[in-house]
Amino acid sequence: MATTEERIRKLVDENLEVDGRPMGRPLDLNSSLRDTGVSSVDFVAFAKLVAQEFNTSFSAEDCANINSVGELIAFLDARS
Amino acid sequence: MPTPIAEGWWRLFRITGGVEVSHVDLTPDDARETEAYARLDESERERCRRFQHPGPQRRFALCRAALRAILSRRLGCEDGRLAFGAAPYTKPYAVLEGQPAPIAFNVSHSGDHGLIAVASKGRLGVDVEERATRHDLDGPIAGVLGPDERARLAAADGDEKLRLFFYFWTLKEALLKAIGTGHGIEMSRFQVPKNMRSGEATGIFRFPHLPTATWRLESLDTKDFAAALAYDVMPDA
Repeated sequence: MATTEERIRKLVDENLEVDGRPMGRPLDLNSSLRDTGVSSVDFVAFAKLVAQEFNTSFSAEDCANINSVGELIAFLDARS
Repeated sequence: MPTPIAEGWWRLFRITGGVEVSHVDLTPDDARETEAYARLDESERERCRRFQHPGPQRRFALCRAALRAILSRRLGCEDGRLAFGAAPYTKPYAVLEGQPAPIAFNVSHSGDHGLIAVASKGRLGVDVEERATRHDLDGPIAGVLGPDERARLAAADGDEKLRLFFYFWTLKEALLKAIGTGHGIEMSRFQVPKNMRSGEATGIFRFPHLPTATWRLESLDTKDFAAALAYDVMPDA
């Protein structure tokens, strides 16, 4: 069974792009996805994919409070 | 006053309601990027180094250096005396001599285009998006548009659907940036004004949960990008 981190890394690798190219580097769990240069539209689409993958939902407050990939993983683990 | 840059990479784009909007050219240019980097303070350079890709790094440096030049000219101070703080939900503000500077601003960039909106007071938000083709617009459409907005898109296809999506997106994003909560408010819970859903370029907006605050909303769309500006209508205006 893949861990939450592995599943998130897979979603990132398969779905997020910067300037039309895959992210391409190992994801830093402490980094903000916004600092990676992902567009706001793609960011919202990615949140929907994550919600589907983990069968959960994000409130507006959740979105405002999750600032890094590591925090996203912790949030999902807490709900599992 | 700071020395003007001989060939700045920004220019005045629009003046409306006391808000000046400048366009920032973010196309790759080694000389400009070197000059921009030199104008940043150490914390900004550190942020530059954190970007994993050259595109976002370039956009940040060129936009931040342009912002520094625009704000320092407006405030009549040297560029190097400016610093930036971040409010809750990361909306930044200018700091001068350790105090919040008497100026309001907001910045957005996408692809080769940046916009900087500046006013002497009030809250404002600006958003710009290149109309890039996405793998899948259906997710964002369902997540961010209200029922009347979705109906407009359902009646369109191809380039018009793409144009309409970014038209609505930038208007709503500008409002969220103006209020300063980022995506702390669900975008699908509010809709742009009815007259703007019908294509008018300006409108008046009130958030359903904050009906006492009134916002002026303006589309800044061009053939090259979608963009929008939102600013609060001051009671004494």
